[in-house]
Amino acid sequence: MYQHRDPVAASSLFSVGKKIDVSVDQIISLINRMEADGIVEHYAIGGAVGATFYLEPVATLDVDIFVAVPQKPGQVLLDLRPIHDYLTARGGVVEGEYIVLAGWPVQFLPPTSPLVEEALADAVTVDVDGTPARVFAAEHLAAVALQTGRAKDKARLLQFVEAGVLKAEHFQAILARHGLVDRWREFERTFLRTMP
Amino acid sequence: MSFDLQRIIESKREMRRRLAGRPVAEKLAMLDALRDRARTILKAATRLETALLRESQPEYRVNPRKD
Repeated sequence: MYQHRDPVAASSLFSVGKKIDVSVDQIISLINRMEADGIVEHYAIGGAVGATFYLEPVATLDVDIFVAVPQKPGQVLLDLRPIHDYLTARGGVVEGEYIVLAGWPVQFLPPTSPLVEEALADAVTVDVDGTPARVFAAEHLAAVALQTGRAKDKARLLQFVEAGVLKAEHFQAILARHGLVDRWREFERTFLRTMP
Repeated sequence: MSFDLQRIIESKREMRRRLAGRPVAEKLAMLDALRDRARTILKAATRLETALLRESQPEYRVNPRKD
């Protein structure tokens, strides 16, 4: 159980009682154990939950966790069954593409592009009240949002820009490596010209 | 009553900045609360949609007057 320390900043805005169940950090602990047990080589949190490490929290219904899984020689397709087996043995419930852990639908995603592979390899470790959590770097989250390009991804990218958390040089280098420079220019033309 | 839109926008921006600067553990706790709210809204929206779909056409039958 987690208790807010600052009654003004958080509890008044998200007052759901004096105590709040922090289930996301329970998920992080479980994934850390899964990594230590060798089920995944490494992991990183992406999506809206990943963005929350850098931005204000945004409502989301699921948790996206990108994973690199050990592969046997000659294996072509990634097999996520060991993850499912490991987690269902620890109380997880499979629901379609998701595994429900601590009340959250969690989706495990293999890296599907060189950009996501790089994001996974370069993920940063953040301390969450004593628990290490691996999360995509802000610049990678922003680049993935640009690449994915749905309306909500564009909104998230704007949040990153507005929050001023992107290191420009690092971000531009990622865009150049993954052929996203033109898309970024288009994004700038469309959304950032009139920004105060 | 007058609204200073610029001031409203700036105060929203300030709140977002303040929230973004909170400790990660606290922000993750907020995600739980936000998710619960989103679920409540989704449930309500689904109920409303179902109710609207089930709403039958009003009847315009005129009963003949019995004089």
